[in-house]
Amino acid sequence: MQAEICCQGVRKVYGKGAAAFEAVAAATFSIDKGEFVCLLGPSGCGKSTLLMMIAGLEGVTDGRIVAGGTAMVEPRAEIGIVFQDPTLLPWKTTLQNVLFPIEMMHKDRSAYLGRAMELLRLVGLDDAINKRPNQLSGGMRQRVSLCRALIADPSILLMDEPFSALDAITRDDMNIVLLELWERYRKTVLFVTHSIREAVMLSDRVLVMGRSPSKIIAEIEVPFARPRDFAIGETSEFNELCGMLRDQITRARQGEAEARH
Amino acid sequence: MIMVEDRAPIVIPIRASGLSTFLTTMWSNQWALVLPVMTAFLFLLAWQAISVYGNISPTILPPPTMVLDQLTDNFPLIMKHTIPTTYETLLAFGVSIPLGIALAALMVYSTLTYQALYPNIVFFQLIPKIALAPLFIVWLGIGSPSRVTFSIFICFFPILVATAAGLQSVDMNMLRLCRSLRMSDWQILVRVRFPTSPPFIFSGMKVAVTLAIIGIVVGEFIASQRGLGYLILFASSRQQTDLALACIAVLCLVGLVLYGCVVLGEKVVMRLYGVR
Repeated sequence: MQAEICCQGVRKVYGKGAAAFEAVAAATFSIDKGEFVCLLGPSGCGKSTLLMMIAGLEGVTDGRIVAGGTAMVEPRAEIGIVFQDPTLLPWKTTLQNVLFPIEMMHKDRSAYLGRAMELLRLVGLDDAINKRPNQLSGGMRQRVSLCRALIADPSILLMDEPFSALDAITRDDMNIVLLELWERYRKTVLFVTHSIREAVMLSDRVLVMGRSPSKIIAEIEVPFARPRDFAIGETSEFNELCGMLRDQITRARQGEAEARH
Repeated sequence: MIMVEDRAPIVIPIRASGLSTFLTTMWSNQWALVLPVMTAFLFLLAWQAISVYGNISPTILPPPTMVLDQLTDNFPLIMKHTIPTTYETLLAFGVSIPLGIALAALMVYSTLTYQALYPNIVFFQLIPKIALAPLFIVWLGIGSPSRVTFSIFICFFPILVATAAGLQSVDMNMLRLCRSLRMSDWQILVRVRFPTSPPFIFSGMKVAVTLAIIGIVVGEFIASQRGLGYLILFASSRQQTDLALACIAVLCLVGLVLYGCVVLGEKVVMRLYGVR
């Protein structure tokens, strides 16, 4: 299979001289077309920075990012992004918010109306199309944000801890919603999270990122069959894999502590 | 089809039971309404008692009833002077709104303009602006233009600062989304920053509207043959304290009405934008 996203020795340093801070030390990995990959790591390990670089929203200090066959130098409209907060425009309705990227890309709104309705139906918001964000719950808002990211039919979907601000029950629901959408559209997804269970539940492959130095410390295949549902979380294989990932992170932390002393 | 249980949406009934909700709130808050009115009434009563039974000359402190008499007896005179003051205040306020908003937009538009303007704006705020009032007479004469310009000079500032804050209040991730959609600075300003700002702009306008009146009245104090500021000065010089106080009461009323209009405008815009 062909690699859709490819990072080679990606490094990011903020500031200069003594105040310089290395947010990402060296990230090298690639993601195949249609693959669902989770980037797992403790908070502050630079995983969001890495995602922003892949989105073209942050420049790289060193290294190279190739997405869809061309080097990433600036933001691209064909990459969908979902942030931790829904970032909806409060004066626009659900439907208007979903169609906002189309409007901004100067594309024909009516051509995408059907797709918007389909997406909203898939996430169960077809009866909330004329509501404003302040009339929606947190989970519903994030679903609108998900539809907005998919409206222009991007080949790549980047997600920056999209469900971490939601309560646990809503979060589980959102995982299922996302899996259903992914089964249907098969986008290349890079999903940043600090939840081990979420990473195992969703992805084909988990990239574990360590802190100081912030780099990919482990790469683990998730072998579970798709489509997946909640039941998979109860199996011993699932919990074993979660345990293994936890060990990896703990070991990385110990290494970190030793390096500091 | 995905069936997902979610928290019930928080639907705020705005139109359907708006009036009944309002009435219920009023009823349960009746004390909140009655108490301040009672306090004000008692204050006026005490004032009346002190000035009548305290042997205080009406030149020093006329009783409220005397002020009220002046208001009714000299109503045509007071109105004659109220109209230019109100008109000039509205003009100054009206000009300062687009001026403040445009300057704020220019300031926020790019890093370059921000760096060029912001320190100067801060410095400008430190000028005791009232002290410059006589200079406006020198520059623009004793007519209406000098008063209106001076008033604009005083009152555009809060609008500028509040609007700039509003334009900059856009969430970091929202800006990232805009950039990922390859929106231009201008598009971001018009499509995202401006529609985010009304709550801020209105809070600036509430401060500005009172300053607009102050600007006009100060201008009338310095050089004018009309307006409530002039009438207050005229009445004071003839020791007609009751007439001066009557004029001040009318000024308060004008201020209250203008402030009320801003609040009303805010409510309408907020509902249109669905922010509150």
